[in-house]
Amino acid sequence: MGGTESIENKLKDAVKDLFLKKKVDIVIGFEKGSLPLTSRPCFIRSSDMAERLVWNASCTNNLAVYLPRFFQKVPRAKKSGTPPPVVGIVAKGCDARSVVGLIKEKQILKENVVIIGMSCQGVIDRRKIESFIDGSFIAGGRQEPGGILEITTGVGDKKKIKVSDVLAESCIECQYPHVENADVRIDGESITASDDGYKAIKAFEEKSPEERWQYFTDEISRCIRCYACRQACPNCYCKVCFAEQTLPRWIGPGDELSDVMIYHIGRIFHQAGRCVECNACVRACPVGIDLRLFTRKLCMDVKELFGYIPGLSIEELPPLLRFELNDNNDFITTG
Amino acid sequence: MLKKADINKFIAAVMNNGYKVFGPVKQEDGVSLSELKTTDDISFDYFNFILPPKRHFFPWSELLYKYKDKTIHEAPLPEDKTILLGIRPCDARSFSFLDNVFIDDKAVDPYYQNRRDNTIVISLACNQPLPSCFCTSVGGTPAGKEGTDILAYDTGDSLFFEECSERGSSFLKLYSKFFSTPDQADVQAVKDFIAKAEKQVLSVNIKNAAEKLKEKFYDSVWDKLSFRCLSCGVCTFFCPTCYCFGLYDERDRRIRVHDACMYKGFTLEASGHNPRPTQSERMRQRIMHKFLYTVENFGKIFCVGCGRCVTACPVNMDIRENIVEVIG
Amino acid sequence: MEEKKENNEPKIVAFLCNWCSYAGADLAGVSRFQYPANIRVIRIPCSGRINPLFIVKALQEGADGVLVSGCHPGDCHYISGNLAARRKFALLKNFLSYLGIEQDRVQFSWVSASEGNIFASLIKKVVDNIKKLPANKKLVRKRVGVQEYGWY
Repeated sequence: MGGTESIENKLKDAVKDLFLKKKVDIVIGFEKGSLPLTSRPCFIRSSDMAERLVWNASCTNNLAVYLPRFFQKVPRAKKSGTPPPVVGIVAKGCDARSVVGLIKEKQILKENVVIIGMSCQGVIDRRKIESFIDGSFIAGGRQEPGGILEITTGVGDKKKIKVSDVLAESCIECQYPHVENADVRIDGESITASDDGYKAIKAFEEKSPEERWQYFTDEISRCIRCYACRQACPNCYCKVCFAEQTLPRWIGPGDELSDVMIYHIGRIFHQAGRCVECNACVRACPVGIDLRLFTRKLCMDVKELFGYIPGLSIEELPPLLRFELNDNNDFITTG
Repeated sequence: MLKKADINKFIAAVMNNGYKVFGPVKQEDGVSLSELKTTDDISFDYFNFILPPKRHFFPWSELLYKYKDKTIHEAPLPEDKTILLGIRPCDARSFSFLDNVFIDDKAVDPYYQNRRDNTIVISLACNQPLPSCFCTSVGGTPAGKEGTDILAYDTGDSLFFEECSERGSSFLKLYSKFFSTPDQADVQAVKDFIAKAEKQVLSVNIKNAAEKLKEKFYDSVWDKLSFRCLSCGVCTFFCPTCYCFGLYDERDRRIRVHDACMYKGFTLEASGHNPRPTQSERMRQRIMHKFLYTVENFGKIFCVGCGRCVTACPVNMDIRENIVEVIG
Repeated sequence: MEEKKENNEPKIVAFLCNWCSYAGADLAGVSRFQYPANIRVIRIPCSGRINPLFIVKALQEGADGVLVSGCHPGDCHYISGNLAARRKFALLKNFLSYLGIEQDRVQFSWVSASEGNIFASLIKKVVDNIKKLPANKKLVRKRVGVQEYGWY
């Protein structure tokens, strides 16, 4: 691993090139964040802004979440009849699969998206880093060549941590790190695809129903219902979410635990056959609920029951829009 | 002065007198403000609580009344005597801000007021500001006394208690047997301590922010600022001074729930019209509210600089940068 | 044994498709087939009309079990409603039991309009299955009554 800087330069050049050739109107990428060891989404509108772009292991967000808003009619529309912009997106494997999903669900126009496919080396999980530095905080940090993070802790110590030791769970278990449908490709080293066969999910299934329910209850009872998991998810583009619908009002707004559970069951269930396991919901959760364990169960079932993997092909119909006469019928109670 | 080793005895005595003590409790995912069941749970190994302590006076979801058989049964006023222990001065300051809102001359929120009257706030001066902190820029300090009854300084193996209000001093008098008189060295230690912490806090130049914001209402800067925002509302839920709430009727009861100006539904009218249709107006509302409207109404910037919104934001919207960008 | 006693008469919400299972229930009635009176029938146009949230909400509102029944695969009045629904049902059943809700709490079935006797035996079976479970407490709204607060 290594060479993020050269990749960063290649990325800047590629983006500048796209602007010079007038192939894009706007590029969504990452810039340096305001806290140490963070990057954040930024919107590049001209070739000279491209210098702001960064590429490193802290580029965590799924940028596809910003795409639908370019193609929606905003309430304060500037002028009707202006064609939608051509949007470039700096995409990791998971972002690119989200783009495919959005095209498939007709939220964005295929010809108006330019995917800049990055070679992804995985992204870091800040919570993991914090556990590495014994309860202190990250006072400073930068990424050095060779996949090493140099971190200054709150007490002034310098610590070197391998990126591979603090990778997010989703990256360790990532099955598709490569961008298959890139329009512009930035080459470099990337993590190897791994298929752990949903080990964590199967281990959880081994537990007794009571244990599983207890775990689910404990996790959900921490929820403060900020709905950040929903907002950070590229798949959640509904204009009105079922959680906020008033006719019918599916769930109450208060701290009634069953309401919170139904929100989570509903949100996770809506991901069936759509979730690309990018971990955006988990990262966005400010109280650190283990949403991944529950969402991946649906990913696993969709794969095992219907042989479908989201985000791989634009043509293939999503599993819940399709059916076979000989689908699994084992769960049916017969009279 | 109170030896840290003796704090258990002090808290046990307080609990025996019928107080519920909420303090820093070590849990799986860090230290959080929860009720102390035994005095052993307490841990001073934390920077600040993840969730803002406003939830103690102004709960996330609160029952106001129930109706049955055509009569309304109001919820009883909370009467528990409580101690909030280990609140950071920035958060303690937020209590004095919320007092302006909920204990107004014209209207008083009895639930808030009762909780406030029954609670003694013992805050703990901040010895290690985080990279996201900026309390000194908005008028606070790492050892601020606003909104707190007793301020404690952690000087290593003991705690130095300073009374900041009448209630605080009469409370401390009851328990004077636990405390020793500080000597010169201790006082000096405290002074050094404040100076050191203050130096570490990041400073943001927001001078005359209110004046400058007045002219920015129709500025296009809001569009640019808000583009990255996901409108998830984490910043408002995590803000110790955000106090907006919604009232909902549920079956047989009316409840009050925290609401967020970052949500589309916050201003949505029954007709379908939304006076704040895009994120740009919502972002403007949040920043204007904190740095302009409250200055006009209460003479205070409603931000304590705790930095929770900075760290919790999934896309790193940094209010320090935003305000500087707006006022230019 | 205590728990079972509580659940001697479980309440089961049965979503029956208008064209097959509802007619099947009708036939069971006119043919005088006996079946337990624990089900509360809700007529739906097609099993494809079922939003998974209906099922979850039924459990929240205190149902001890939920039964969804439609036409046999291939016999749907709307050609394919039940086939599309079957995929959803398979995922939902797996997901709810993964969270720790008992397998038999939510059941799915196919009953045609001519199968009055099968409908009766299905209900017997479903009710027996659910009687074996403790009363539903897991997903149920905690604040159903006014008793939980001492001040009332």
